Amino acid sequence: MTPQIEISGVDKHYGAYHALKDINLTIPKGRFVALVGPSGCGKSTLLRSIAGLETISSGTMRIAGESMAGVPPRRRDVAMVFQSYALYPHMTVLGNLTYSLRFKQVAKAEARRRADEVASTIGLTQLLHRYPRELSGGQRQRVAMGRAIIREPKAFLFDEPLSNLDAALRVHMRMEIRALHDRLNATSVYVTHDQIEAMTMADHVVVMRDGRIEQQGEPLELYDRPANRFVAGFIGSPAMNFVEGTVEPDGASVRLGLPGGPVLPLGRRAEPGRPVTVGLRPEHLRVDPAGAQMRLTVRAVESTGSMTYTTTESEPELMLVAQGRGGLGPGDAAPLCIDPGNIHLFDRETGLTL
Amino acid sequence: MRRIVSSLVDGRGFDILLVGVTMLFLLVMAGLPLVYNVLMSFQQVDMFTLGAWVRPWAGWDNYRAVLSQPEFPLVMRNTAVFVFGSIAGQFVLGFAFALFFMLRFPFAATIRGLFLVSWVMPGLVVGAIWSWMLAGDYGVVNAILSGMGLVDRPLFWKSDPGLSIWAVTVANIWLGLAFNMLLLSVGLAAIPRDLYEAAELDGAGAAQRFATITLPMMRSTIGAVLALGLIYTLQQFDLFPAITEGGPANSSNVAQYWAWQWSFQVFDFAKGATVSVMMLAFVLVAAAAYVWSTRSEVRG
Repeated sequence: MTPQIEISGVDKHYGAYHALKDINLTIPKGRFVALVGPSGCGKSTLLRSIAGLETISSGTMRIAGESMAGVPPRRRDVAMVFQSYALYPHMTVLGNLTYSLRFKQVAKAEARRRADEVASTIGLTQLLHRYPRELSGGQRQRVAMGRAIIREPKAFLFDEPLSNLDAALRVHMRMEIRALHDRLNATSVYVTHDQIEAMTMADHVVVMRDGRIEQQGEPLELYDRPANRFVAGFIGSPAMNFVEGTVEPDGASVRLGLPGGPVLPLGRRAEPGRPVTVGLRPEHLRVDPAGAQMRLTVRAVESTGSMTYTTTESEPELMLVAQGRGGLGPGDAAPLCIDPGNIHLFDRETGLTL
Repeated sequence: MRRIVSSLVDGRGFDILLVGVTMLFLLVMAGLPLVYNVLMSFQQVDMFTLGAWVRPWAGWDNYRAVLSQPEFPLVMRNTAVFVFGSIAGQFVLGFAFALFFMLRFPFAATIRGLFLVSWVMPGLVVGAIWSWMLAGDYGVVNAILSGMGLVDRPLFWKSDPGLSIWAVTVANIWLGLAFNMLLLSVGLAAIPRDLYEAAELDGAGAAQRFATITLPMMRSTIGAVLALGLIYTLQQFDLFPAITEGGPANSSNVAQYWAWQWSFQVFDFAKGATVSVMMLAFVLVAAAAYVWSTRSEVRG
């Protein structure tokens, strides 16, 4: 089956600035793909290139099998939900929803019928005759979604659509967008800087940095098997702890650059004497007086009631997170251990996973 | 006493003071001459009663006299041609230039700034330059037109009664072009870029984006520009003495120049005042339109 969106070898230059570097991405129909990365990583540029709002410098881009070279945005049949929503301020909600239908020679009655249908899908029926300035942030967001849905496009493109909403609404809309995607059997590309949004909404997460795809795959695959130190640090919250270390001469354990020089068994072979960066996720570090592998002084304890976040005084400091309250306080020596299967090793020079 | 002092200090009394000073200034510098002018249009004024407030009451006599002047219809027609010709020319060209400068090319902002030269030049200087360019026998405009083969003999812009009002109108279009362009550029720049992107993705072509996004979003700016254009065009005086002096045979005479002629060439101050009061009534309508259009601005 032809993929809905097929991007291969795409580069984008702005003068001397290399914004996209050899991007390869295949999106089958019905897939929800999240592009995630820090600001300036090229995720929005990639999305806008799919929309045709940016012209790619080289490479090929296909939507539903057709090459998009030289095809202007209005002929690509993709819909975009903007961060600012970009609602037409001089039109009512109804006018905003039916704007695209004007250019498809859809009869007025038919346009109205479709607008009513979309409005009831996303709960805008009562607001059809309001202007955008009379709507709340969440309602505007829905109008922006409705404007995309009514077109029944080949793909939905989302450019950080939730970043202007408050936290509670954001969590709610997250689920709603995903449910809508499933109901419409749509193909969606979703740009966000929030890895939690990416992890919870998407089938396929693409982590980008400096115009390059660092890794792509299923959300949990990225969490369990990050390809490099950057992805490991980016996916997961709170972020992974990184500690310099050296593989012991036996090749089966690693010595950490922490007070007391603790040695952790790896449960696998590694090149003896190799300098590495060791990645330890905060949720994998356990407090266990019996099986302690290292003892580090606690600097601070923060509790949200259900979770406890503990920071150690060591250099570099370690963060650990556990359910419940925990019995540690500042100044205590925390007995810590970690399962060999949860230890990540990265090359100290290249950052690649070993 | 302390209450008065504190009310001055805490702002409320001070507000009243600020409002008072401004109102006083407006009353003395604008209100009084205006009222005096209106009053004069209902009085008999001659050289001996120039300095007086109280003069013989004339009722509507001055208005009847002005309306029955043989040149009145011609002056009104010329005023209409001048005003609507100028506004249409300034607006259409100004909008075209504003759209052109929205394209991002090197030095766009600098070149746009240079256009303001026409606006900062004194009207008399502009008039003198255009008078020179439009000269029938040696003017550059005729040289260009005949060089392009558009005319076979020189056009006498300033002395042909059929052309003279257009000579002043062309100069005025040039004079007001930059102002229109600037205001319209500000309006264009205020339209968020992503609206155009959204419209483009929604399937709108360039002409459709202009009709469905640009024009409606510019409504209040366009209203303001047209209203201000009307006001400035009715104020335009310098070009007339510099180019045609209203002639030949009043063929380029307009209301504002006519009012000046009544007062300062014929020394019939009552009729001069009458003509200007008639203009005032018309400008008030434009001012009301201006206020209305800036009040109902669309805000996203």
